[in-house]
Amino acid sequence: MKYAILALGLTLSMPRALTAQAADPATQELIQRLLARIDSLEKRVAELEKGAGPAKPPVPPAAVAAAPVPQPGPHTGHEQPPPPELPAAEAAQPVYPSLKIAGFSDLDFSASTLHGPSGGFGAQTLLSPHSGFEEGQFVLHLSSALSPKVTVFSELSLTARADAGTGAPSAAGFNPEVERLILRYDFNDYLKLSFGRYHTPINYWNTAFHHGQWLQTTISRPEMTQFGGSFIPVHFVGTLAEGVMPAGGLNLNYQAGLGNGRGQVLSRAGDFSDINNNRAWLVNLFLKPDQLYGLQVGGSVYRDELNPAAGPAAREWIQSAHIVWQKETPEVLGEFANVTHNFFNGVTSHSQAFYGQIAYRLPWFNKQWKPYYRFEQIHVPHSDALFRALVPTFSGSTIGVRYDFTSFAAFKLEYRNYQRRDLPSVNGIFSQTSFTF
Amino acid sequence: MRASAMHIARRAILRAWIAPAALTLRAATSPDIAIVVRPDVPVDNLSFAELRRLMLGDRQFWSSNLRVTLLVRAPGAREREVVLKTIYQMSEAQFRQYWIAKVFRAEAASGPRIVYSNEMAAELAAAIPGAVAFVDAGQIPPGLKVLKINGLLPNQSGYPLH
Repeated sequence: MKYAILALGLTLSMPRALTAQAADPATQELIQRLLARIDSLEKRVAELEKGAGPAKPPVPPAAVAAAPVPQPGPHTGHEQPPPPELPAAEAAQPVYPSLKIAGFSDLDFSASTLHGPSGGFGAQTLLSPHSGFEEGQFVLHLSSALSPKVTVFSELSLTARADAGTGAPSAAGFNPEVERLILRYDFNDYLKLSFGRYHTPINYWNTAFHHGQWLQTTISRPEMTQFGGSFIPVHFVGTLAEGVMPAGGLNLNYQAGLGNGRGQVLSRAGDFSDINNNRAWLVNLFLKPDQLYGLQVGGSVYRDELNPAAGPAAREWIQSAHIVWQKETPEVLGEFANVTHNFFNGVTSHSQAFYGQIAYRLPWFNKQWKPYYRFEQIHVPHSDALFRALVPTFSGSTIGVRYDFTSFAAFKLEYRNYQRRDLPSVNGIFSQTSFTF
Repeated sequence: MRASAMHIARRAILRAWIAPAALTLRAATSPDIAIVVRPDVPVDNLSFAELRRLMLGDRQFWSSNLRVTLLVRAPGAREREVVLKTIYQMSEAQFRQYWIAKVFRAEAASGPRIVYSNEMAAELAAAIPGAVAFVDAGQIPPGLKVLKINGLLPNQSGYPLH
């Protein structure tokens, strides 16, 4: 009976409530009372549906309305008694290990005017003398908390390669790789210590997107940080200390690492011990200011000694810098890196690379479209005996569009132009369907 | 039998009259969204920038021994819309991608835990040490502490979450 009366009351009062002006205190009070009454009834219904013992009497509207909004003052909270033990308490407790798996993959199509040697471009750039479809990478990402402070992260990939299969000559197949494997202990926000195999944190792209092609706006990475490339060491095996400090709202993030450095093949990390007795080290610093939400700016230094299987030994210095606006209206990425090789014969060379990329999430069509443009350049002097046969010297433009046809899958279409030193220019059309699952 | 009939009648009334009225009235009044934590969380006040860092997973500890656990309502809830609009400044798709990327970068072990009602948010906030939940300022459960934002509590002038 009382519910019928309440319903009648609501019906009669609704038109008034709907037309209520915010400045009318009487109407506001009525609305608050009705809301409180509704909330108390919702709770009562929930209790009845649970059948959890004798139901509590409905909370008086005045009490509900008064309780939610604490009054301002110096005694907020700490004097309150601890929360009561709830049935949800046990269910809410974390279970260790807590393995979570996510997958990423992509399927590509490429057609270009490349005829002859690629001139240092690797397979991941998708430049090939023949047009056709390519299976991209199949990537599994596994993370598991082992305790409140210890977490394991790993990234496994299966990459389609022309020579990964069996037989002579090798058939096409898939190449398995442990891309990342990290065991990390979080002391607090200021210090996290980890060991493992990383994507070297001396480059924004290298640590922001990893092998999930779906995460990056474009089809392919910039060539300076390309998988299988040699310009910067993409992988790093060792230990890393990292953390963040408020720094007056600038939010200074740091990473300091010590590891094996490059292997005898420059594009590979020293996965199984170092190739010399000189550890590589790195320091990476970047800011994420509170006042400019979305901005990240930073730089890093990397030091190693190289003893490649083919080529002269050298000491390597890498300095890099990046500036990123992480929002999508617009998205702006810019990076620069300088690689200095001090050869033991006294020759010193400096190779530079940079890229600038801009994208914009269009406000129409459910914000599913994002056109983008990237300009990139790598310059390797002839004096660099290590890079001149491995790293392409070129300038290139990429223009394309990304269409997110679901929240977890995207189609990308782009046109690229490469102006190569001492080689004909290359134009190409590329597409990619990438997704996470 | 009589109790069962009463129960059915109450549910029918709730669905037919009260729930639509509640939605309409809530939309009309747009109450603030309160941030609630257990009383043992050693923080009473956050600046809006600190709140954003917390929600972005850039700050992951209240103290060295107390990790932050984020509780966020499922899509469709007003609390979630307010959090995404005012704190993250992201669309639903951007929010999902942000957390997938965050975990993929090994910067966080997992994303926020999803809760499906204010009651569930309150229960988990009370049960999980370090949990932080967003609830309608008109439905703050007893026993939880309401955090100030920029020194302001919900329903005070200038409070940012509404």
